[in-house]
Amino acid sequence: MAAENLLEIKNLQKYFSKNTGFFKKKMQHLKAVDDISFTIKKGETFGLVGESGCGKSTTGRTIIRLYDVTGGEIIYDGKDISTLTEKELTPYRRKIQMIFQDPYASLNTRMTVGDIIGEPLDIHNLAKGEARQKRIYELLHTVGLSKEHASRYPHEFSGGQRQRIGIARALAVEPEFIICDEPISALDVSIQAQVVNMLDDLQKELGLTYLFIAHDLSMVKHISDRIGVLYLGKMMEVAESDALYDHPIHPYTKALLSSIPIPDPELNAKVDREILEGDVPSPLNPPSGCRFRTRCKYAEGICAEKEPVLEEIVEGRFVACHFAKEFNEGTK
Amino acid sequence: MEKLIELKDVKTSFFTHLGEVQAVRGVSFGLNKGEALGIVGESGSGKSITSMSIMRLLQNPGKVKSGEIFFKGENLLEKNKKDMMAIRGNEIAMIFQDPMTSLNPVYTVGNQIIEAIRKHQNVTKKEARKKAINMLEIVGIPDPEKRIDAYPHEFSGGMRQRVMIAIALSCEPDLLIADEPTTALDVTIQAQILDLMKDLKVKTGTSIILITHDLGVVADVCSRVLVMYGGLIMEEGKVEDIFYNPQHPYTVGLLKSIPKIENKERLIPIDGTPPDLLHPPKGCPFAARCEHAMNICMEERPDFFECGEGHRSLCWLKHPDSPKVKLDGGVR
Repeated sequence: MAAENLLEIKNLQKYFSKNTGFFKKKMQHLKAVDDISFTIKKGETFGLVGESGCGKSTTGRTIIRLYDVTGGEIIYDGKDISTLTEKELTPYRRKIQMIFQDPYASLNTRMTVGDIIGEPLDIHNLAKGEARQKRIYELLHTVGLSKEHASRYPHEFSGGQRQRIGIARALAVEPEFIICDEPISALDVSIQAQVVNMLDDLQKELGLTYLFIAHDLSMVKHISDRIGVLYLGKMMEVAESDALYDHPIHPYTKALLSSIPIPDPELNAKVDREILEGDVPSPLNPPSGCRFRTRCKYAEGICAEKEPVLEEIVEGRFVACHFAKEFNEGTK
Repeated sequence: MEKLIELKDVKTSFFTHLGEVQAVRGVSFGLNKGEALGIVGESGSGKSITSMSIMRLLQNPGKVKSGEIFFKGENLLEKNKKDMMAIRGNEIAMIFQDPMTSLNPVYTVGNQIIEAIRKHQNVTKKEARKKAINMLEIVGIPDPEKRIDAYPHEFSGGMRQRVMIAIALSCEPDLLIADEPTTALDVTIQAQILDLMKDLKVKTGTSIILITHDLGVVADVCSRVLVMYGGLIMEEGKVEDIFYNPQHPYTVGLLKSIPKIENKERLIPIDGTPPDLLHPPKGCPFAARCEHAMNICMEERPDFFECGEGHRSLCWLKHPDSPKVKLDGGVR
């Protein structure tokens, strides 16, 4: 039996409003996340990929309620948390934690590492005095740092070590669900593997559930059980990660995957690259119908008129394309 | 065949108030005409500083301490400012990582291309403009007659990088140095730019030095690779040698720490962190992180040992008297 859903996102929307025009009288909406739905099962890693500006970080930040929700539901463990007040949210803040992209900007430079990790313990009243100190040492040990590091400041650490501190801080409140927003993009290749392996081990040990946001597709494939592909605020395809890579259905997924340079010269020469033309259109003024149609070589009349809905094509496989069935059967 | 450019034991340091940071500690390599050479390495390995040394673009407190850089048989380090200016942009051109900051925001892109052309070639404004339009067309900017009068902010990231390439190639340089040209771009745009570079290499016969941390990019574009670490070249070889038959433990470690698309095997990271170049280790810079390290590795810097035609490795393991260790870590 499939595991139960820990998180269910239903038609989530997040619009940013901007006043434009001469007297700033006109309101313009930037639909950063526009009507996306997906579920995350307990204990799994759900990867979210897409190019810059596709709304993947906004999705993460909206789920943890760093942004107010414009519309839709965020059902966490059976309860909709999208409209809760800050006070009602407190218990959920403990359950859902976040790891940020930039380990240089996300740690307070004036606090010692011990205080950075201890702060969540204070806020949630989890430990005091000696117990707090013990817990901090324990957390440092969990992420592969030592006791002595607690009294140091962030600038004394390398990027990889800082990211470990960020992870220790997230783990301090014993969360169930962690949103990893590009946790490794700022790190060097040899250090990336260290952090990814650690996230992997922590998941097994503590039974964590991850939402893993990244633009590095090969790393996302490596860490995720299922993957969602976003484009201009819309979900294009959701599938098991192996299935997605072996047999992408949506033309955008196909193009995205074939753009990855493979670290193998012979394979690379053999790959028939599908290079997308042009750039991602402005999210302030997205194309009508299917948002990908302006760069899609298969686009037809219907793509401009009607917006495709995300439909289950095969079991567990959702695609938003008018020709999804044809692509799946190979008739188009 | 005469080398287009040849570096002989180049050492570059930054003289800071903390002491001498030895960013490049003796680098020698050559580049043939029409060749694409990749330099890979992590942050702080000295790969960018090597290219800045070639271009003589280092500013205080950075300085090329010793060594020779022969370009077409002449030592660039002995040239005066005026001679260097005639070479820079004309015979050796460079593109940088960040297309957002390397264009001047207050001039139109046309102005900036024309500036480069008029600086080095004796042409009228009209001819230069015509040439600029032609360059924009070559790098794939749609509607170049109109876009030439646009400002950098009116272009997307990928388009700006195309403009940078247009400027760099406008004087038909013999050597193009590209320092992480696609790092700031999305994968689909990266694929476009890499395609463009490969295409231009064939069409114009320009030699390329491509600096990157992405092994996939190297496998895609380059025919020969230098692997740098701690200010030194660790291994040099044909792209097939490096990827299928790496002969340095650091190269092996790098290849093992990147995820493979086909399977989800656990990544094997390189433990530890890169050396501090303010106090570089006496022996091999990688010794502290190397699983095969011997006593001599800590004490004395190794020499290059030949591993095949044009394939050399800076590692004591390759010494005839060393224990035979099988370095197994190619991507095959």
